[in-house]
Amino acid sequence: MVTLENVRRKLGPGVEFYCERFHAEPGAHMALWGPSGCGKSTLLNLSTGLLLPDAGKVRIDGVEIQDMGDAALDRFRGERFGFVFQTFNLLKPFTALQNVLLGMRFSDTIPEKEWKPRATELLTRVGLGHRLNAKPGTLSVGEQQRVAIARALANRQKIVVADEPTGSLDPKTAASVMDLLLEMCREENVTMLLVTHDRAIADALPQRFDCTGLVRELSA
Amino acid sequence: MSLWTIAWAYLWNRKFTTGLTILSVALSVGLISAVLTLRDETRQRFEEEQQAYDVVVGPSGSPLQLVLNSVYFLDQAIGALPYSKFERIKNYGDPVVNAYPIGLGDIYRTFRIVGTSRELFDYPWENAATGVKRYPFQLREGRYFEKSMEAVVGYRAAMGTGLKLGDTFEGRHGSMQMTPGMDEYDHGDTPYTVVGILKPSGTSNDRAIFVDLQSVWDTHAHKDDDGEEHKDEGLTISAILVDIYSPAEAFSWQAEISKELGVTATRPVQEILNLYRDVLEPAVMVLKGIGYIVVVISAISILIGLYLSIIQRRRDLAIMRALGASAVEIFGAVIIEAFLVTLMGIAAGWVLGKGAAMGLGMYTSAAYGFAITGLGTGLEELQFFAIVGFVGLLAGILPAWQAYQTDVARDLSAN
Repeated sequence: MVTLENVRRKLGPGVEFYCERFHAEPGAHMALWGPSGCGKSTLLNLSTGLLLPDAGKVRIDGVEIQDMGDAALDRFRGERFGFVFQTFNLLKPFTALQNVLLGMRFSDTIPEKEWKPRATELLTRVGLGHRLNAKPGTLSVGEQQRVAIARALANRQKIVVADEPTGSLDPKTAASVMDLLLEMCREENVTMLLVTHDRAIADALPQRFDCTGLVRELSA
Repeated sequence: MSLWTIAWAYLWNRKFTTGLTILSVALSVGLISAVLTLRDETRQRFEEEQQAYDVVVGPSGSPLQLVLNSVYFLDQAIGALPYSKFERIKNYGDPVVNAYPIGLGDIYRTFRIVGTSRELFDYPWENAATGVKRYPFQLREGRYFEKSMEAVVGYRAAMGTGLKLGDTFEGRHGSMQMTPGMDEYDHGDTPYTVVGILKPSGTSNDRAIFVDLQSVWDTHAHKDDDGEEHKDEGLTISAILVDIYSPAEAFSWQAEISKELGVTATRPVQEILNLYRDVLEPAVMVLKGIGYIVVVISAISILIGLYLSIIQRRRDLAIMRALGASAVEIFGAVIIEAFLVTLMGIAAGWVLGKGAAMGLGMYTSAAYGFAITGLGTGLEELQFFAIVGFVGLLAGILPAWQAYQTDVARDLSAN
């Protein structure tokens, strides 16, 4: 599903990211684990096309993305990937329903007439059927992350990437959000790449990729 | 959910600053809209009235003052003209079709009493360009005067004074803006009787009180309260309105009659054009200049407002890019924001401008008899709106370019 081979990316003066090989099978639920600054988020950004490599190959769903044009890559990313962030990243001017609809607006995957029914269904499934028209500012942090999960799945994406999705939540809410994320990804048959520095969360997933050492200093 | 919906949501999300930006655009648009509307409508009214009479003849003096005084009933009369000169012009023959005497000098409250002949009421005002005739002396009620000391009151004058059919009133010798020490006294023993009230015509006739010319002479052939005789040296009038067979002949005839009678003869159309060229157009240019400066300031405020907004929501833009929005779509959404702000500014400015023009129009209508609706939208105004729209879009380009260049990975990871 996602493969990186000999990927290099300069991160700053004398510092680079290098990954000889990373591979996630379709349907995999994999933790990208490691200490802060080890290159987890860079691996995630390269795996989703948010960053492009200086060298090497990135293959997603059978397509090499490093030579794609910007517009095609934007569309490709919107159709393949759903994102769940540590700080939820809901767009404040929009309601919960509109945030999920936005996930479909920029892709051709779902026909327009199905946008609203699907968004409503997803929000109902994450337990927010009664808060469709609530703005993010009126939702609790747990509810906001549930909206983000619904948005990440709106386009029937094949891959959900979650960057420290429970990092801003209390332990009880974090546990329920993780359960929901895994359940939804299983139900939708979606590959999940989850970035975490929390070993316990990493151990709870079937697969784990240790990112330690991906960021290295270049010798003079 | 379209880009328009997204743009609108972000504008609404910062409604206070959006409102201020719209207000600044509206003020510039309103200023220019009002100026252009007033200029166009005032010019139209002036043109209608200046075209009413081909030539105006009066005593030696300022031709512009003569026109303002005898056609628009503004300003002071420049002097007196022997009635014999009117008779000479009236009987001049070709190319003179008709001539109407104007005798000024008295007022009632602030309204000018105009002595003239009964024939003037039947004279249609013809637009030389369109050939359309107007009849600005139509009766609303009563009849025209038939003898001395009968008065026909213009619509505004009737409203302003409360005069009704059958009422009597006394004229006062003097100007509309009296200052202490000026010649002023009532003609208490020679009251006028109102026999007719005119329909509103949107012309200077609305604020005049028309009487038979004989009344003016009769009024002034009296004695003052102290018994001293108020002498009028022969029968005089203030001006003569002349209808020429062909407007094209007015120019040469005007020169001829000036030379023959030693009078000031002028074409109202020329004086008004000069007035516009020398006084009103420069004033309009200054106001338009101010308006355009405010447009530039508004454009800068749009630019700053959007630019700051883009900096504040870089993360939002990055999220949209992560959701699949292309850089071009993000650029388009920001341009739409600039367009919506400008459009709303133009709409609000149009309303403000028309409101101001209507308010001023009501004032000029009451004070000067110029009926200005304030609702007309001319080509130049539409062109100005298009320029403002274009400037607004230009102001959106820099912020949109900033948004276009969003570094998605960096902005998503930024706290």
